[in-house]
Amino acid sequence: MLYRITGQFKTNYRSDYALFPVRQDMFLLAVILFFAWVVFPLMASEFAFQTLLIPVLIYALAALGLNILTGYAGQLSLGTGAFMGVGAYACYKLVTIFPDLNLMLAIGFSGLFSAAIGLAFGLPSLRIKGFYLAIATLAAQFFLVWLFEKWSWLYNYNASGAIQVPTIDMFGITVAGPTASSMVQYYFVLFIVSVITLLAINITRGRIGRMWKAVRDMDIAAELVGINLLRAKLIAFGVSSYIVGVSGALFVFLWRGAAEPNLFDIPLSFRILFIAIIGGLGSILGNFLGAILIIALPVILNIIPEAFGVEVDSSLLEHINIMIIGALIIAVLIIEPHGLARIWAVIREKLIIWPFPH
Amino acid sequence: MKYRVKTALLGAALGLGTILAVPLASAQESIYAPNLSYRTGPFAATGIPLMNGQRDYIMMLNERDGGVNGVKIDFDECETGYSTEKGVECYEKTKSKAVVTQPWSTGITLQVLPKTNVDKIPILAPGYGFSPMSDGKVFQWAFNPPASYWDGASMMLNHISGGDLDSLKGKKVALLHLDHPFGKEPIPLFETLAAKHGFEFLPIPVGLKEMQNQSSQWLQVRREKPDYVLMWGWGAMNAGAITEAIKTRYPMDQFIGIWWSGHDGDLQAVGEKGKGYKSISWSVPMNDAPVMADVKKYVVDAGKSLLDKPEDMDTVFYQRGLLISMILVEGIRSAQNEFDTKVVTAEQLRWGLENLKIDDARIAELGMTGMIAPFSTSCADHTGHSGAWMLEWDGTKFVTASDMLTADQSVIKPLEAAKAAEYATANAPWPVNEDCKM
Repeated sequence: MLYRITGQFKTNYRSDYALFPVRQDMFLLAVILFFAWVVFPLMASEFAFQTLLIPVLIYALAALGLNILTGYAGQLSLGTGAFMGVGAYACYKLVTIFPDLNLMLAIGFSGLFSAAIGLAFGLPSLRIKGFYLAIATLAAQFFLVWLFEKWSWLYNYNASGAIQVPTIDMFGITVAGPTASSMVQYYFVLFIVSVITLLAINITRGRIGRMWKAVRDMDIAAELVGINLLRAKLIAFGVSSYIVGVSGALFVFLWRGAAEPNLFDIPLSFRILFIAIIGGLGSILGNFLGAILIIALPVILNIIPEAFGVEVDSSLLEHINIMIIGALIIAVLIIEPHGLARIWAVIREKLIIWPFPH
Repeated sequence: MKYRVKTALLGAALGLGTILAVPLASAQESIYAPNLSYRTGPFAATGIPLMNGQRDYIMMLNERDGGVNGVKIDFDECETGYSTEKGVECYEKTKSKAVVTQPWSTGITLQVLPKTNVDKIPILAPGYGFSPMSDGKVFQWAFNPPASYWDGASMMLNHISGGDLDSLKGKKVALLHLDHPFGKEPIPLFETLAAKHGFEFLPIPVGLKEMQNQSSQWLQVRREKPDYVLMWGWGAMNAGAITEAIKTRYPMDQFIGIWWSGHDGDLQAVGEKGKGYKSISWSVPMNDAPVMADVKKYVVDAGKSLLDKPEDMDTVFYQRGLLISMILVEGIRSAQNEFDTKVVTAEQLRWGLENLKIDDARIAELGMTGMIAPFSTSCADHTGHSGAWMLEWDGTKFVTASDMLTADQSVIKPLEAAKAAEYATANAPWPVNEDCKM
């Protein structure tokens, strides 16, 4: 009833190629965007901005970057955290060397550094696959974090070895640093995430995306039909690392405010891989759903008892929280191994034919 | 049947209503002091005794005196698991009504420090955090009483040199440290002193992943044969270092840790073999102090403590936890007296922490004679730079092994000022306390 698509005829190629050929999808997206751009910022408290809205967007962006490489092009990577670090350190150096540089540009440039390093570590992907490639990216992970620790030029010889975000203005508004308002930071992040997501949707459904999917599904077949494997894989590494690098710069500059090298260590990589897997590999929507489950849900679970006035010991709550999230992850993967995005797709299919099952 | 369901629902609603209403009613006349605790995660073993001590001291005051000057302290823990991300979540969650932030990790301190100028909540980081935080004119909202890491480093050197640093000339002093902001903290001071007094300084970093397996670091110790090994370790690193030192037969009496490396649990594991290991400490365990009797009577024996067994009270970390809460409470008390109010605000507490006067008489009144050295803070000095003692492991427990040591402020002060200024310029525009004329 609600999702009936009968009667929506496509009479020209343009409407058949549209991003959202189904009117209801477009409507739903409009509602979500309306909430993201208008309702949430109006209602959110400082706490909601800092622990729910901003981190979910940034983690979703990082997962999106990984998803392009792993979900679309089929190249497993365990170095996401380190590539985020490259973006963050590059942005830090750019901002401290050129203090007048527009932060939006600095973040855009810092993705290029991450893309370059991603390309370098992507080169072995032509010769090795699967677990072997995962080991190569793991090497990147360990090497880069070691570099962040040892190369003091990267953190401007700071005694504590950490980087701290200075106060940065853009067009007279403070966007980064301790005095920046959460709402400005949220819009900044939301803008970048929206633009990159739109680009990613278009890349993945176009020629390059089809190339990636062909390589993912069977690379020998892809080669036989004339796809240049080296190019396809390297483009995937480049695009993926670029997005991951941008998310790393956002991670430190628009959210954390400070970072030490071990922040970018392997737990961060795994966290993003979990988001991508639970959200659904090979899907754009999945990254956002996964980030909501992994990042936002624990925070919400933590405040529920207090909201109801129940006194629960904080460490006990933390343990319960870990158990609930763990159980949920396993449950999701049992119910639908292809992740949350697939669950939504199934629901949507059901809605389309509802109330007549046949 | 329907009627009964309705009654049950009504009852449930009423019950829920009371539960919701109770915390609101009691929140009126209390001071909310949260602690960003870590009873879970990789550092839990060292965190739990400290958190227990902090909690039990406040519980004891609430039970014995009904709080501070008649106002109960609403002590609350927010679990971070030592993770920076959770720490920031806790900070955001508590900051609307908290009078203080107790961040408990250098990572969280780093993140929260710039925000305090905006949110106007004091950070209390007793014995940890940035050493330059001592410069109260620059770090208006941060406090690290009673002694900073640089004080600790200076006192260690004073102890091994017998008070005359020139006697270390030509000797080799190694610093086994966690490769993390916390572990790197004393390096600038050691470098300055090494250059001034002509001893060789050798930093040996231990990566976060190598904490449990330090064989390569101790191989380096064996090769370089330093005259002293000083340690800035935390969590699993301490136990790892002590076992490796025993394995490589490094003389224990030349091995000295900072106060966070003096955890009873780490040494109980090696027992007799760890004999002679020392740790500098601004707190001394006094199992028969009057305050301990009160905590035992009102909290532990009343079953309100989270301690596993009452004997755990007799440890260095538990009693240090008590002292940490004492510093907070004394800050609250002095703010109450100054502003003639009962429920102090965060800004008033800042004044209180800036005007701590913990002299011998006050320590005696608190029933803590001998547990802590006297110190006082001011708007320019947010540390107090108290003295400290060497604690020595005698095979079963830590005992005091020296007279009270003091740090060489003539070296520390200029370094503090320089590093604080460096921080302020790197984070410009950084507001500085212009009113402070000291």
